[in-house]
Amino acid sequence: MNKSSIAIVALLALIGGFSISWYLSSNKPIELEAGLWFGEQARALPDFELVDHHGQVMDRTTLSGNWSLMFFGYTHCPDICPATLQTLSDMANAIEDPNVTKAVRIYFVSVDPERDNAETLATYVNYFNPGFTGATAVMEKLTLLTSSLGIAHNIRNKAGDNPSYDVDHSSAIVLINPQAEFAGLFSAPHDPLAMARDLTRIVEYN
Amino acid sequence: MMIRLTLLLLLVFPGFALAQLEIRDSWIKNLPPSVPVRAGYMTIHNPQSKTVSIVSLSSDAFDSIEIHQTIAQDGMMRMERIPILIIEPDSTVQLTPGGLHLMMMNPGEPTQIGDSIEILILFDDGSEQKLEMWVKK
Repeated sequence: MNKSSIAIVALLALIGGFSISWYLSSNKPIELEAGLWFGEQARALPDFELVDHHGQVMDRTTLSGNWSLMFFGYTHCPDICPATLQTLSDMANAIEDPNVTKAVRIYFVSVDPERDNAETLATYVNYFNPGFTGATAVMEKLTLLTSSLGIAHNIRNKAGDNPSYDVDHSSAIVLINPQAEFAGLFSAPHDPLAMARDLTRIVEYN
Repeated sequence: MMIRLTLLLLLVFPGFALAQLEIRDSWIKNLPPSVPVRAGYMTIHNPQSKTVSIVSLSSDAFDSIEIHQTIAQDGMMRMERIPILIIEPDSTVQLTPGGLHLMMMNPGEPTQIGDSIEILILFDDGSEQKLEMWVKK
C-alpha cells in the first residue's frame, strides 16, 4: 500500500468515526439500563417467514404495529432457554402500565426445527406464559432472519439419528419496533425488572 | 474410634460413608413433559481439608445425569460436559442458571412442581452421598 492510499484510508476511517459518534450523540432519545437502543440506526427486517405455534404465518406484517421481543433457542435446551423464558415471563408480569403490556409481544423462535414443531412449541411457551408465541421454520428460512439480526446458532454433535444433539445459540433478546425494524438488543445476563422498566420507557416514549 | 466405627459401617453397609459435602439450595427446574431434559442447581461446599471429586451422579428418576457448564463462545452459548467436578478444600462451587448445572436426561415420569427426587453422588474414592432435590417452577 503506498502513502497516498494509506492517507485515504485514514481519512475515510476518521470521517467514519466522526459520523458514527455524531449519529450516536444526535439520535439517542432513550437510555436503556438493561440493553442497547439503536435509535435512528434501527434497520428493516428482511422478508422473512416463520410459522407460529398456531400454525399461522409469522412475517414482517405480523410484527407491524407492536413492539416485539424475540429470543432464539430450542425446547431441548435445559439451562439458558428455560432461564431466559422465565425471565421474560417475570418481566411481562412486572410491567405495570397496561398500555405497555398491550403494546408488547414476546416470541420464542426455535432454531432446532427438526425437533420443535408447532405442537411442541405451543406446550413449551404456554408453560412459561400463555401470552408468549412460539415460532420456527426450516433452517434456510430461519437463517434469513437470524443472520439479519446477528443472532448466531449452530447444531452440534449431530451424528445420524442421534436425538440428543446440542444447539449452540445466542443468548441475546432482540427488540423489534412497530415498523418491523431491528431496534435494540438485550444481552445476557437479563434482569427482568430492569427490562420491564426499559420496555415501559420505550413504549411510553414512542 | 471414629475410624473403626466408619470401617465397621463400611463392612456392614458397603457404600456407606459420612457425607463428604454440604449441599444446600438444590433444586430442579420443572419443564413441560414434552421436554426430555431438566437442569439441576445447587450450592456445594467442601468443608474438608482435602479435595473432593465428583465423578458421576445417578438417579432412578432419570436415564442419566451429567455435569455441564454453559459457556459463551463465538457469540453463542454452548454446553460443555465436565467429566469430573473438583471441589477444592474449604471452598464452595455454585451450580446456577447460565453456568454449571446438572444435565438430567429422560425423566422416567413427567416431573411435577413439588416432587422430591433422590440423587446419588459418586466420588473418586468410591464413596457415595445421597441428595434430595426438589422440583420447582
